[in-house]
Parts: sequence; structure tokens; C-alpha cells
Amino acid sequence: MQTIVLGLIAGVIYALIAVGITLVYKCSRVLNFAQAEIGTLALYWTWWLSGDHHLPWAVGALASIVFAVAVGLLFERFFIRPIATAPRVTLAVATIGLLALLASVEAALFIGSIKQLPNPINAGGFTVAGVVVGPSQMLALVVVAAVALALGAFLRFTDFGLGVLASADDPVAAQLMGVSRAKVSAFTWGVAGALSAIAALLNEPTVGALAPGVFAGLFIGGLTAALVGGLSSLPGAFAGGILVGLIEAEIKAHLVFASMPDLQYVAMLLMVLLVLLVRPQGVLGRAAA
Amino acid sequence: MRAIVGSARRANIATALLLLVVLPPLTSHAMPKLVEQHNWLLLDRGIAAAVAAMSLNLLLGYAGQISLGHAGLLGVGAFTAGNLITRMHLPMLLATAVAIVVSAAIALVIGVPALRLRGLYLAIATVLFALAMQYSVFPSHAVSSGSAGVAVPRLLWGHSYLTDNAVFASICFVLFIGAWVIDDNIVRTRVGRAFRVIKENEAVAQSFGVDVVRYKLMAFVVSGAMAGLAGAMYGQTIGHVDSATFDLMSWSLPLVIMVIVGGMGHRLAVVIAAFFFMILPDALGSLHAISPIIGSALLMMTIARHPEGMADLLTIRRRPAAVSDDDDASVPALPDLPLPPASLRSGVVPQPRGNNALLEVENVTVRFGGLTAVDHASLEVPAGQIVGLIGPNGAGKSTLFNAVSGLVRTESGIVRFRGEPIQDLRSDQRARLGIARSFQQVGLAMDLSVRDNLLLAQHQLASYGDTAAVLMLPGVAERESELRQRADVAIEALGFADAADKPVKFMSGGQQRIVEIACLLLTAPDLVMLDEPSAGMAPGVAENLAARLRELRDALGRTVLLIEHNVPLVMDTCDYVYVLDAGRIIASGTPAEITADQRVVEAYFGAAPDAPPPVARRTRKTVGAPS
Amino acid sequence: MTGGVTDLLQARGLTAGFGAQTVLHGVDLDVAAGEVTGIFGLNGAGKSVLLKVIAGVVPTRSGSITLDGTEIAKLGAERRVALGMAHVPQGRQMFRSLTVEQNLRVGAHVLRRRDRSAYAEELERVFALFPLLAERRRQMAGTLSGGQQAMLAVGRALISRPRIVLIDEPSAGLAPAVVEELLESLLRIREQGLTMLLVEQNIRFGLRLADSACLLQRGRIVYSGSTADLDSEQLASYLGVGRLLRGDLDVGLDRRRGVKKEPTGRAGARS
Repeated sequence: MQTIVLGLIAGVIYALIAVGITLVYKCSRVLNFAQAEIGTLALYWTWWLSGDHHLPWAVGALASIVFAVAVGLLFERFFIRPIATAPRVTLAVATIGLLALLASVEAALFIGSIKQLPNPINAGGFTVAGVVVGPSQMLALVVVAAVALALGAFLRFTDFGLGVLASADDPVAAQLMGVSRAKVSAFTWGVAGALSAIAALLNEPTVGALAPGVFAGLFIGGLTAALVGGLSSLPGAFAGGILVGLIEAEIKAHLVFASMPDLQYVAMLLMVLLVLLVRPQGVLGRAAA
Repeated sequence: MRAIVGSARRANIATALLLLVVLPPLTSHAMPKLVEQHNWLLLDRGIAAAVAAMSLNLLLGYAGQISLGHAGLLGVGAFTAGNLITRMHLPMLLATAVAIVVSAAIALVIGVPALRLRGLYLAIATVLFALAMQYSVFPSHAVSSGSAGVAVPRLLWGHSYLTDNAVFASICFVLFIGAWVIDDNIVRTRVGRAFRVIKENEAVAQSFGVDVVRYKLMAFVVSGAMAGLAGAMYGQTIGHVDSATFDLMSWSLPLVIMVIVGGMGHRLAVVIAAFFFMILPDALGSLHAISPIIGSALLMMTIARHPEGMADLLTIRRRPAAVSDDDDASVPALPDLPLPPASLRSGVVPQPRGNNALLEVENVTVRFGGLTAVDHASLEVPAGQIVGLIGPNGAGKSTLFNAVSGLVRTESGIVRFRGEPIQDLRSDQRARLGIARSFQQVGLAMDLSVRDNLLLAQHQLASYGDTAAVLMLPGVAERESELRQRADVAIEALGFADAADKPVKFMSGGQQRIVEIACLLLTAPDLVMLDEPSAGMAPGVAENLAARLRELRDALGRTVLLIEHNVPLVMDTCDYVYVLDAGRIIASGTPAEITADQRVVEAYFGAAPDAPPPVARRTRKTVGAPS
Repeated sequence: MTGGVTDLLQARGLTAGFGAQTVLHGVDLDVAAGEVTGIFGLNGAGKSVLLKVIAGVVPTRSGSITLDGTEIAKLGAERRVALGMAHVPQGRQMFRSLTVEQNLRVGAHVLRRRDRSAYAEELERVFALFPLLAERRRQMAGTLSGGQQAMLAVGRALISRPRIVLIDEPSAGLAPAVVEELLESLLRIREQGLTMLLVEQNIRFGLRLADSACLLQRGRIVYSGSTADLDSEQLASYLGVGRLLRGDLDVGLDRRRGVKKEPTGRAGARS
């Protein structure tokens, strides 16, 4: 049971990354490999403000989110919009460039030092039937649920949100209906940046430290979740995140060998290959007519 | 092997290469102080990186498959070579050869999901592959002593080791040239064209008869083999590898940077970029930590501002012949759709076995979920006739086409071609039997030129094996030049000589349609299936199309199945017409019979005044009341 | 062709192209208010590019475009939509995963921003014009048949209360009966005085709908004027029409001449 709770928490966090990847992919055809890294680098602001300068956690968190949104917007404006019509492969490679840039900046600035962040929340937490749910874990569940509902409602019930969904179907036609392509593109990247920072903030208490490379799980878990979800629907991405989180937790708990460490990566590879071969449209996807 | 004209140039190149191979050891022995061993080592690393970059270029630049797993493949090469040399005392060249084979085999395994998937999904799988290799397999006791890794000594034979980095550079250089030649052969032949069309659009590739699975796997295998070579070379260069040697940050991402900054698909530029980025950290001295930042910034700038990469600076820009801006006002010549090549004109009229039907569709049903798109439809296309398939939108005409050409699975029923059931074959297999089709949405490789599309259309006529192509065996080059000649003749006839080397995407929708039909006509397959060919065609071109279709039937004995809403065109060309409505065949007969059929008039032509076909057409004064 | 004040849309000296290639060489175009103007020409003559340049999807290299006196050549496509331009794009381009009603709501994007209350009224008008869309308002647009999609595409353009609608090959890929139905709808809309700019390869369809024609050849205008004044021989030779489609061309032209209106009265009569 404790494993399932751990897996669920990791899963909803992966889901946030996966939703960001899927939203951007659907609306601007860009598979964003840097999705998790944007938030990871942004997290150093929380460390600097809240850890190093002892400001409240929320201030640091807000700074991280603002930074991540800014990275998303700037990258979209200067590197994606000029090549909006390029092939998908080219667009994906541009985000690999962003991933490489953010990761190498992180490495150049912070390699060899492990940063500690304050806890986001101290009170709360409870034990149900022997399962411990810590305060940060509660926070993760609540925040993710709130973010998912708000995003879903915005897309479905506002004119601009519908415009975003229309753009996902056909960007040129949406533009011809008066929906600003630039605004839609900026919106999706801004949201993706915010989701990335929130995911990193919620992930940090589980990892317990911040240093180059320690958030690799977020990068891999998020990408895998997006893929398992089929890269086409936001609920699918969500389901993919939870599935990946649960499986990963089970493996970390039960399949540990000294002669062959870190089997969860092998397991994720197998899972992706399996999904790709059996349900290429994703766990919740419908077969294309 | 090639034409005699190139032989002098070839001799020069051979001399230059020989000098490059011989010079390092000579310099190193005669003037050991001139170049320090450290710098030879840098050169060795540069060559290994160049081969690794060529490996990714083949996959990403030609075939369009992103791999972030090349660190893993390089590692496989290095760890294989290391284990073979240290544990089994194999000489280094033999160990390298085995490493190449093992890496190719592993690449085949990660390439297998590529069978089912398009592009980007695979990229994610390759990331996971690299991580699984780095964190689980390389540190495992099976291939190394945990995090301590494995040594990769340069064992020449017995107990003699190669210590001179300059001599090792010569060996590496020879291997590098081998990889280069194979890469070059791929680009020049149908293998390279198949890669490029897969990069662009797999459905289009299949419709050209390209076996997508086979060529994707081939790209993976050749790329994997090159990566194995590069990994083994790199391992021998630095002498010892561990799991941290081959991680995403140190290899997978830098390789992408080299390929993109160099220029996707431009081998020489990619090789130069590989050397540059390999040497950059040393050149920066104490600032070496910013080298990856420079690399990734360059990658982003290149993609956004200069997508062709550095290659743009290397090639002498061939300015397109100035498009004559001062055309006189006379009516431009209409494009003339190509005739099939002379070699096919003498072709015997296909003789179907048993009866006279080339294609038989028997009780075919296609369902999507709960929707029945084609409902027990049967039709027969006799050899040497033009058969029309008409019906309202959404009647299932294109789906029936897809069922015949193999793009959707039939739920029940039989599709026979020349009397043989084909419903279980893949679409490219059906294409090779002689079934070719056009699409409602234009089915061309949009980023490739008109000429390349016409060459691709002749994929199946390129009668040489892919292995022969990779090794450029005798006969391959001759066959290639024949195909080129044929394409040139067709381009001339279409009046597209000015635009022959322009990407098809720069042409208008109607012109693209013309090129697509030309691709089909050029190969003169036994059964030509056209899905609304005249949509978007100017009236004059539609008339030209009608003439060509009749010619295809009368002069060449070919068979045509035609979906078309242009009623005059159908009535003029078709020998027999089937009418499909809501997935069922509701009528069939000669054009005259069909136009007289009340059900067809209701379901398709409509009761409107001008809509009925030309036989019955007069300008009537009644105003119709559309239902 | 000097439409004077009644010209709703005017283009002067338009050039456009891709890379080293120039597709339009200084095109002048006048679209009179309340008229349907058809653009005809061979493949590659630049018809669709001209429409896309006016829409703002393909950038203008030089020249000016004015919509009711406002210069729009430098504006993005969505800004032109906000000024009263609407589109029935080539291939209809539904938002496949949205419902019929959501498609219409996206079509009314600029109207809702201007005047939210007007939307309900416009929705009723579109449903009155195409009752079938009202029946299927909750259906996913991707599951509509080709004919129904054509209706939705037209409805989606009309709902924004446009001043001018740009229509790109509406009949392509439609069965004859549906083409006729679509033509009847567009003729009804024309009677209401809506200005339209049309590109169409189906010569009968195009000639029956268009009041004036504009003949493009290799990126230049070679004729512009009333459709009724077109010489059928000349038109046939420009479009390469031979024996097969001559009937269509003549039917189209005859129809136009049959409904020819007095040039002086038309602008006032419709508005």
C-alpha cells in the first residue's frame, strides 16, 4: 500500500509534465524534450530565495514559476515561432537544443554542490490503515487536482480555450477564424513552463535535494507518461503519468539487484516498447478512423 | 566502376587519401616533436566523433529518425571491444569488427518498435534505451567491474600493443574512409531516396512501393554498425571506459548538436562539425565548461535561423535560373502528362488467369468501430478497361480504394489481383505486384524535388539489391542513370524544367496533383487507381488527363480504376461504372445506363437542372429544388 | 474596371512568392461590394496564392490591399478577420475534434469579442440557412460527411457577420448533387448582398456564382470584368477547355447572361 501511495504521488507529478508535453505537442506539433528541465533549472530560484535567503517557501516557489513561464515564452517567441511550419523532427530537435542548453547551464553553475530546500509545508499529513501520507504528498495531490481541473475548464468553457483546442486540430483554419496563432502558441508554452515548475516544486521533497542530474526521473517519467498517454489527449497524459508512477514504484520496491542496478529504466523501456507495439494510440487513445 | 570521366578525379582523391593515411606515422617517426602525442590523441578522438556523427546523420539527417540513444550504441561498441580484448585477448581489429556486428544487432532491436511507429515516439524509446544502458547494463557485472568499467587496450596481436597515437590515427582514418564510402553509396542510390521519403512521410513512401519497415531497420542497422565502430575506436583511443563515459550529456546531445550545426544530411559538414566540437573544449582551455553551452546555443540558433546548418556555407549556392519574369502574354503551354517509358511500351498486355478480371473485389466489408464504411461491396475490373467508381461523399469510395491498396484491413471478403487473393498483403507488397494509386490529398514527398519524386516513383524499377547499392556493385550506377534520364524526359514534357529541383511544396496544389499523376503514369503499373485525380486541376489539364488515361488503356493495355466527381470526365473515359452509396454498390453499368438509372440520379447526380451528365444535358429553364 | 467607392476590397501591385520564385507579379484586384468576384486560371497561375495573400497567410512582398479603405497588407491574418474578413478555406478544414456548435463558436471568435449578445442571433441565422447543422449541433465535426462539412465551413464563415468572405475551391471533392446544393446555398447568400471572392476550378460552378471574373495567368491579371461579358472562345482557350468540358463552360456562361443585372442598380439594390 505504501508503495502504491508513493507511486501515485510520483505519478501525478509525472502527469503534470506529461500534460505540458501533450498540450504543446497538440497545439504546435513540438515534442518538447526540455519540459522537465525548464522546471528543474527554475527550482534553483526557490533554493536561492527560500533556502539561501530564508524568504517564505511560497515566494521562492512563485519566483520559480515566473522564471519557468519566462523561459517557455522566450523560447517560443525566439526559437519556435520563426520555424512554426518546420517538420516535427526539426521542432523536436530545437527543444533538444533547449534541453542541452538548460542542462549545461545547470551543470556549469551548480556541478558538485547539493542544495537543500525548505519544506513547502510543515503541518498536516496523516496515517490511514498503516499508510503514511506526508504533508508534501498531500500538497502534491491537491495542487495537481486543482491545476488539472482549472486547465480543463479553461480550455472547454472560454472562447480563447476553445480557440486553443481548435488550433490543435488545425492551426491555419483557427487563424482564419481570427484566433491569434501567436497568442495560442505563447499560451501553451507559458502553461507548459508553469506546469514544469510546479512539477519540479512538488517533486523536490521526494528527492530531498537539488543538484545537476538528480531530477532525471522527472525527465524520463514525464516523457514516458506522455508517450504512454498517446501524446494526443490530456486525460490520456494524466492516466499515463499515474501508470508510470505506479509501475516505477513497484520496481524500485521489489526488483533490486546489486549486479544490475536501477532496473526501473529497463522496465520503462520495456513498457514503452510494449505500449508502442500494442496500443500505439496510447492507453486511453482511440484508434484513428 | 563509375564512368570513365571521373577516373582522373578519382585517382587524385585516392592519392590524397593515401597521403593522409601515410603522413601521420611518417611525421610521428621522422619529426616526433612536430606534433605531440597529446594532439594525435585529439585527432583520434576527432575521427571517432566524426564516425559517430556520421552514424547519427544517417539516421537523423537522411531517414529522419531522432535518436537520443546513440550514447548507448557507442557504449555497446566500446564495452564489446573492451571485453573481447581484455577477457578473450582478441586483437583490436577483430574485436572492432565484432563490436560493429553487436552494435548493429542491438540497433536492430531498438529499431523494431520503429516498425509500428512514426518518428517522434521512437525518440523517447531511444532516450530510455540510453538510460537503461548507462544505469543498468554498463555498470552490471556482466560487462564491467561495476562503476570501475573496463579497459580497452590496443592489442595488435599476441602481446604486442600499439602505443603510438599517430599510427592509430592512420588506422582510424582508413576505417573512417570505409564508413564514408558506404554512406556515399547509400545517398546515391534508391536506398538513400527511400530513407529521405521515409523521413518526410511514411504513407507516401509506402504508396511509392517503398518497404518502410525494411528501410527503417536498414537505417538503424547501418547507423548502429557505424556507432559500434565509433564506440570501439573511441574506447581504444582513451583506453578505458566506464558507465559515465557514455551518457546523454556527453554523447547523445553533442551528436545531435554536431549533426544539426553541421547540417542535417550533409556528410562533410557534419564531419567538420564533429571535429570542431571535439576539439572545442581543449581549445577553450580553462573555460572548457562552457563548451556545451556554446554547442547547445549554436544548435538552437541553427535550427531557428539557419536550418540548413553550416553546410550552407560550404556549398556554392546554385542560384536557380532566373524565373523569366517577363513572360509574354500568350497562353502558356498546358502540361503534357508523361507517357510510360519506351521499355514498358512493348510490355505484353497482362494476361489474368482464369477469367478476364484483373481485380476482383468480393463481398468486402470494412468497419471503423461501429461504423460500416464498406458493406459487402463486390466489383470487377476487367483487364484493359477504365472502370469508374462514383457515389456521394462519404459513400466509402476512398475506403474501398484503401482496402484494395492495403491501407485498411478488410473485415471480411476477398480482394483478388490476377486471380490471387491479396487482402493479407501489406500495401507496399501490393504496390510491387503492380497496383499503384493516387490520393485525395496529394501523395508526394513535399520536401523533395519534382525530380526526386519521379525517381522515387521508379523505386521498384531500380532492379538492384540494396546490399549491392550500399557496396556500389557493378551495374548499379548504370541503372541509376537510366532512371534519371526517364525522369528528365517526363519533367520536360510536363513543362516543369524550371522547377525540377525545387521542393514540391513550393508548387501550387494543382501542379502537385499533376506531378503525382505523372509519377503514376511514368511507371505504368498494371492497375492504376486514381482517387479524384482532377480535383484542383484546371479544366485543360483534366482534358489532358482524360486523353492520357485512354492512351494508357488503348496503347498499353493497362487497367484503370477511377474515383471522380468530374462527370464529363467519367462519362468520356469509363467503359463501365460502379455506383457506391452508403458502402453498398447500388448500380453498375455503362455510362449511358448509369445516367438513366433513377436511383443513381437521386443518390448522386441530384435532381438539379445542370447536374445531369453531358449526354442528357441541355440548358433547361426549370429551377431545381434541391432536397 | 473602376468600381470607385463601391469597391470593398482593392489590391494594387501585389507581388508575392516563395524563396527565389515570384508567383504574383503586380496584381490589381477590385472586389465590388455586394458582388461575387471569381478568380480563374490554370494550375500554378497563382489563384490560391492570391487568395492567401489577401487572407494574410502568405506575406505580401510589395503592393497594397485595402479593405473598405483600411490598409491591411501588413496585418496578420487574424487582424484582417477582426476587420470583417471571413474564410471558407480549401479542403474545408473542420476542427475535427470539436462539435458542430463549437466549430461555429470558434468561427464567431471575433464577433463574440465585439458583441457577445449578437452570437445567439447569428447562430439562429446559420441554423435557419442550414437546418441540418442544427440537428447535428452536438456531433463531432470530424464525423460529418463531405457535404455536411461544406455546409459547416460556409456557416462557420457567415457567423462572424463578415463584410467579405474568401472561398477557396468549395466544390472540390464533392459529389454533383452536393455541389448543386452548395451552389444553391451560396446563390441564396449572394442574394442577401454578401460580398464574396471565389477561387473555383469547377467552371460551371464558378461562372454561375460569379458576377465578375478575374483571369490570372502566370501571376498576372489578363482579364477582369463582368462574367456576362466574357467571350466563351477566349475563356476556353485561356483555361485550355476542349471538347470534354466545353459544355460546362457554356452552361455556366449562359446562366450568367440569363441573370445579368443592370450594372448601375446592383450596389444599391442589395444593401
